[in-house]
Amino acid sequence: MKRSKAEILQEYGPFPHTEQVHGVTYDGRHIWFASGDRLNALDPASGETVRSIDVAAHAGTAFDGQHLFQIAEDRIQKIDPATGRVLATIPAPAGGGDSGLAWAEGTLWVGHYRGRKIHQVDPDTGRILRTIESNRVVTGVTWVDGELWHGTWEGDESDVRRLDPDTGEVLETLEMPPGIGVSGLESDGGDRFFCGGGNSGKVRAIRKPSRISA
Amino acid sequence: MDSLITAAARALAAGDLLGVLNRVALRDDAHALALRGIAMAQLGDFGRAKTLLRSAAHAFGQRQAVARARCVVAEAEIALVSRDLAWPTKTLEAARATLEAHGDHVNAAHARNLEARRLLLIGRLDEAERALAPDSSMPLPPATRAARELVVAGICMRRLQAKAARVALAGAESAARQAKIPALTAEVESASLVLDTPVARLIGSGGERPLLIEEVETLLASGALVVDGCRNVVRHESLVVSLATRPVLFALARALGEAWPGDVPRTALLARAFRARQSDDSHRARLRVEIGRLRAELRALAEVRATKQGFALSPRRAGEIVVLAPPVEDQHAAVLALLADGESWSSSALAIALGASPRTVQRALEQLASAGKVQSFGRGRALRWMTPPVPGFPTVLLLPGPLPSD
Repeated sequence: MKRSKAEILQEYGPFPHTEQVHGVTYDGRHIWFASGDRLNALDPASGETVRSIDVAAHAGTAFDGQHLFQIAEDRIQKIDPATGRVLATIPAPAGGGDSGLAWAEGTLWVGHYRGRKIHQVDPDTGRILRTIESNRVVTGVTWVDGELWHGTWEGDESDVRRLDPDTGEVLETLEMPPGIGVSGLESDGGDRFFCGGGNSGKVRAIRKPSRISA
Repeated sequence: MDSLITAAARALAAGDLLGVLNRVALRDDAHALALRGIAMAQLGDFGRAKTLLRSAAHAFGQRQAVARARCVVAEAEIALVSRDLAWPTKTLEAARATLEAHGDHVNAAHARNLEARRLLLIGRLDEAERALAPDSSMPLPPATRAARELVVAGICMRRLQAKAARVALAGAESAARQAKIPALTAEVESASLVLDTPVARLIGSGGERPLLIEEVETLLASGALVVDGCRNVVRHESLVVSLATRPVLFALARALGEAWPGDVPRTALLARAFRARQSDDSHRARLRVEIGRLRAELRALAEVRATKQGFALSPRRAGEIVVLAPPVEDQHAAVLALLADGESWSSSALAIALGASPRTVQRALEQLASAGKVQSFGRGRALRWMTPPVPGFPTVLLLPGPLPSD
């Protein structure tokens, strides 16, 4: 397993009227982050929040190219980003113990915080398709270039780690500095991860390790 | 943190206690236990709350030091509200240090306020003042600020600094209004009522009248010689002679003070100081001895003159002599004063607060109970005492976000 220190590229926030940052996602232009009773769109270039949607937003956030998905209590809401309307809801696989959310390969991937698992879920029905075991509490989840990454955060210790999606083996970890935690995780598709900072009320960008392509 | 914990924490912050329980009632992880503990505390079930918070602290373990420390602070607050004054203060101190080290200034300030409230309750004013969270360094949320100002007001009241107490109460009131917690506003209001309630009686030439804190403050600064029956001292300006451990001498001083500028006959003094109905020669001899002792004690303040039928007091520098007496003279007024807060007290907590022996307090409580002035419930170690319920304001728990938020 490769182990290195996470390199923080940029910090956004804290934002007014935002005590906590839960899930984060990226729609190609804006970072969306969940802050309890709102989803906020943040412009990564200017650091300004450009708009927000009033919707219960208690944990993970994801974007499928068209819709936002947001965990609230024990369900996952499908939201139209243009109107802010909740189009559908499905039950969350951990019944409220859910924490991270990612979209990949046509399915949703949901972190089960205390269960230390990641569930793959049918986005239409909420049915669990398969489950990957981690050995740490799972906060944010993201897929990028066929790699499955998730955040962990226990007390003072937090990291972002890459799992083998078949075996659940930890392949690589990026350790966060002490006291800085990852509550939500999303790749920008390039060389950055966006991380929710929990009760710091911040969103941080960290460097994603580059791969030498074969 | 997962999604239901976030939702439950938000419900708690909004005061929706049933919303908290609905979401985490069946969960036994550390976060859920802590949330349930705080909700139960706010619902008044302190016993259950204590158990839940203790299990939560245990479940968080050493690795989640901040979350664990918040549980310790919440448990300390429950101990304080249930008048469990024997609570280990070292544990609270350690939790406060942990919170400070991790930058959780709000909860650290809350822990300081709790320690100051405990010290205020047991009458250690200087220590309470030192324990209080510093005023300036970090902006505190309104609820924490209100709690702090309430402690400041309490210290000022006990020191008879009415003006400073009013300033602190005004601060507490506006902070409580900002916090939008009705129970907190009510607590500030009931504290303000104390300032408009007589705290003592003035017994002077020919009559007596009730005094407010302000009037006591004015009186003490007026240059009069005060025989202070609230504290059993004789004072003139900054010179204070304590007779707290000499009840006979104080009884004589008070009788002489009440009669000033007149004198008090020997028989009357004997009746007051020794409860002697008839006097014989041995009583007279004893009175001479005690008057001699009083003369020595008060030397710097007043002269104890022999008159034809008895004795009289004349001040050395002060223009007049007045007597300050407690508003109610009951044999066990101090015990009743503590029970007047409407909480249920254990006899051991009363003993700590009064600095008296548990046996003395026990005896006082038994006498008060047979007179119907106090009542008890529970058995053995759980036995608690309180005054018969009067309409008033409940004390509330003010936990400013002691939630594990990571």
